[in-house]
Amino acid sequence: MTDVPADALMAPRRSLRQRLSDPALLLLPAFAFLAFIYVQPLIDLMMTSVEGEPWYADLARVFSTPLYFDSLIRTMQIALTVALLCALFGYPAALLIQRTRGVTQMLVATAIILPYFIAILIRTYAWMVLLGRNGPINKVAVWLGIFDEPLGLLFNRGAVLLGMTAVLLPIMVLSIYSSLTRVDPALKRAAMANGAGPLAAFWRVLLPLTLPGVGAGFLLVFVQALGFFITPTLLGGPGDMMFAMHITQQADSVTGEGFLQALAVVLLVITLVTVAVAGRLLGFEFIWGGTRAAPAPKPAKAVDRTPRRGLSATVADTVGWPLLRMVSGLQARWGAWTVRLMGGFIVAMLVIPIVVVMIISFSKASYLTFPPPAYSLRWYEKFFSDSNWMDAFWNSLGIACLSAGISVSLGATAAMGIVRSKIKYKSTVMLLLVSPMIVPPVVLGLSLYSLFLKFELVGTYLGLAAAHSIGGIPIVVVIVAAALQGVDRQLEQGAAVHGASPLTVFRTVTLPAIAPGLGAAVFFAFLHSFDELVLTLFLSSPRMKTLPLMLWGDINYQLNPVLAVVSTLEVLLVVGGIILARPVLTRRAGGH
Amino acid sequence: MIVNLAERPGASDPAAVPGAGPQPQTGIGSGISIRDAVKRYGSFAAADHISLDIQPGEFVTLLGPSGSGKTTLLNLLAGFQQLNAGEILVDGKAIHNVPVHKRGFGMVFQSYALFPNMTVAQNVAFPMRMAGLDRATSDRRVHETLEMMRLTDHAQKMPSEMSGGQQQRVAIARSIVMRPRVVLMDEPLSALDRRLRESIQIEIREIHRTIGSTFLFVTHDQSEALTMSDRIAVMDAGKIIQVDTPDEIYRRPRNRFVASFIGESNLVEAEILRREGGALTLRTRTGHQFRAESRDEVTGRNVTVLVRPERLRLHETAMPGSIPAKVRSALFLGEVLRIEVELDSGEVMLVRCPDRAGQVLPDPGSEVHVSWGAEDGWVLA
Repeated sequence: MTDVPADALMAPRRSLRQRLSDPALLLLPAFAFLAFIYVQPLIDLMMTSVEGEPWYADLARVFSTPLYFDSLIRTMQIALTVALLCALFGYPAALLIQRTRGVTQMLVATAIILPYFIAILIRTYAWMVLLGRNGPINKVAVWLGIFDEPLGLLFNRGAVLLGMTAVLLPIMVLSIYSSLTRVDPALKRAAMANGAGPLAAFWRVLLPLTLPGVGAGFLLVFVQALGFFITPTLLGGPGDMMFAMHITQQADSVTGEGFLQALAVVLLVITLVTVAVAGRLLGFEFIWGGTRAAPAPKPAKAVDRTPRRGLSATVADTVGWPLLRMVSGLQARWGAWTVRLMGGFIVAMLVIPIVVVMIISFSKASYLTFPPPAYSLRWYEKFFSDSNWMDAFWNSLGIACLSAGISVSLGATAAMGIVRSKIKYKSTVMLLLVSPMIVPPVVLGLSLYSLFLKFELVGTYLGLAAAHSIGGIPIVVVIVAAALQGVDRQLEQGAAVHGASPLTVFRTVTLPAIAPGLGAAVFFAFLHSFDELVLTLFLSSPRMKTLPLMLWGDINYQLNPVLAVVSTLEVLLVVGGIILARPVLTRRAGGH
Repeated sequence: MIVNLAERPGASDPAAVPGAGPQPQTGIGSGISIRDAVKRYGSFAAADHISLDIQPGEFVTLLGPSGSGKTTLLNLLAGFQQLNAGEILVDGKAIHNVPVHKRGFGMVFQSYALFPNMTVAQNVAFPMRMAGLDRATSDRRVHETLEMMRLTDHAQKMPSEMSGGQQQRVAIARSIVMRPRVVLMDEPLSALDRRLRESIQIEIREIHRTIGSTFLFVTHDQSEALTMSDRIAVMDAGKIIQVDTPDEIYRRPRNRFVASFIGESNLVEAEILRREGGALTLRTRTGHQFRAESRDEVTGRNVTVLVRPERLRLHETAMPGSIPAKVRSALFLGEVLRIEVELDSGEVMLVRCPDRAGQVLPDPGSEVHVSWGAEDGWVLA
């Protein structure tokens, strides 16, 4: 029996037994773990940053040194531009998924979502291949006569913006798509039946209703872009240093203790402030892709409600209508074709790099060129026979398995605790559990470094697996909590009434119902660790190489096709996993 | 005793043309002519050669079970779907080339479909903004229409702040604010509770009388169709089975489907003995003779006769022309008694008698006799 009716009927004093069976206790292991390895190091980091004399000396230095201040401004500019580009390109892509049907829809959706699960490092590498001097873009441009000779398309601001937009776009598309699916399709019909053409229906009805989704996507992209490290390092030139890159650089060249931490704290505070402001506006659920129960209408005020014209309505009227009138002469077909063309372009941008890399992995050439002059399996042979690569592969596999184990055992119990307990401030607890998703990995890595030194965890399996679990737990919590919410409580109560003990209920009813969710959680936690690079850069030792570390080293020194082989194998891993996890994914896409 | 419905003059007169509804008062309604309309989804015909003529200003209800094609027909008219064959004329002009937003119809949706990002007033003003009317005209008409729907106090509310019934009234206001020639309503009341439904039914009827547009109303609720319509088109499997005034549909259904879909019905298998015009003498399988009316087109010897439960009479003793039966169950429903009897042939008949003073419910198993008058039986085609 559940403890709910007992609580209501019996005296307010609860027995020890009842206290011990409170599901809220399930939150403890995850909290203890995160407190030790996540919260405490971050607090340490902040403390170190204010140890100077006076306490703000190091923080002040960050803002007064032009090198860092300029970089901070540049980082915000880049993040803002990337978020805008993602919104601009993400909307048509989301519309394309929504408007296609059947197999086409599945293909389009897969093409957009699949890259989301492939390591950022690999997707960035793919763009390096694409934009390189011997890459397909230069080849095509020269062949078409646009350029006279191959240009250096890499290592400039354009490449950084392109690469970051491509890497972060899936987040935006998913966010907009989920808000599109929540719009009652009858609304569009109602708009049209009331005389609105397709464009007017979009402008007056669809766009305003999906703005929260655009906003959520915008902020997620912006926050992630703020802490970006991999893509700008690989695609940018000397003038494109982003803030997170300074932190890693300073970490290498061991400057004064407090200053390094001050850099990280500045980045962390900017990120958290952005999230806090966004959370006030949109509800913090945007972080994990959840939604508010209702779009929360403003409480009715009896007085003075007449001049109710929001900013968006005013903008829509003053800017939108003249534009709309101008284009209203166009055929309805144009709108549909715009969506198809832009959406198709986005899909191509996301898929082509991956396909090119997969083709190059079969190249016979010893340098990167596309199309390959001839095909062979030599790079696969090299990968599988090179002990360095194979060691790194086994290390990654071992760490990822261990990390997935930690993440799922702690994350799933925490999810159970949060869904099933009656604690107050559930959303605050959830926010704490998923907050590692938004902390820039560079900051996390730096904060963990001293902890790892103290406990001699640097370069150990357990240490790396535990560090990767910081990011793995939120993934597990979000997936398993969603699965648990889908479980019919009456089934459990039915089993209990007919004599099943709580443990039997869990085993026979709950577990089978959430099994697909658990499976997906295991896979994504595994993948998170398998792909993790930034934390590993801080916390690994020269003897302990993981696959991403090897890739990182090779990309920085020599771009050879072995990297393409690793990338291809990773894509296959993700595709395999997605196929296995598809039932869960489609259920979640169905609109929880 | 039988309580007859008050006869509407002309309704039972075979010479009267069924379907000439009341004359529109303002005359803005359009005549609609659906000719041989076909809409297929793969091999499934959602609209299977449908033809229907609707008079200007008429209130026509499409009634049928789910999947019968009534919503498809409405969507074809609204322009959300395109015909595979046939044509739809509005005021004599084919509309298949006119896009949805240029058709100028009003429409009410089952889910209300109010724009959640706009206030009530903005929702109602929407069609006029789209038509490019100036603000003053728009404001005046919004005010008039909200007043007519008694929503003036709610003008500045958001739809989410209102009850379902209020939301639907806003949706109705939005559909009529432009005084459209045609108003389409797709099961607008099905999400509301019974009491609210009945009051809005009356309201819709009054609006129809006031503005004089042609109304096409889709429902699967037969009592809604009976109370609201000038004419009802009963649909099944993508076809219109019968189009008639509500009393004709109820009293003289064309076939078994219409008879059993609308109201409760007793169907008796019988053999025709004699025919004098529309009046027939028949014999049940147990050999009892009785009389019934029919359309002239009824052919064949073995037919099904419809007798509505309220037309049946129960007697304690045998009467001329009565049939012996046994009571299976008897329920007191308030204004009527609902009694199920079983004939010797095994056929079960339902009897509804109005509650009268001193009446007692018969015990199950007791012997009774059932009879009905010559004008109470209706032979189905």
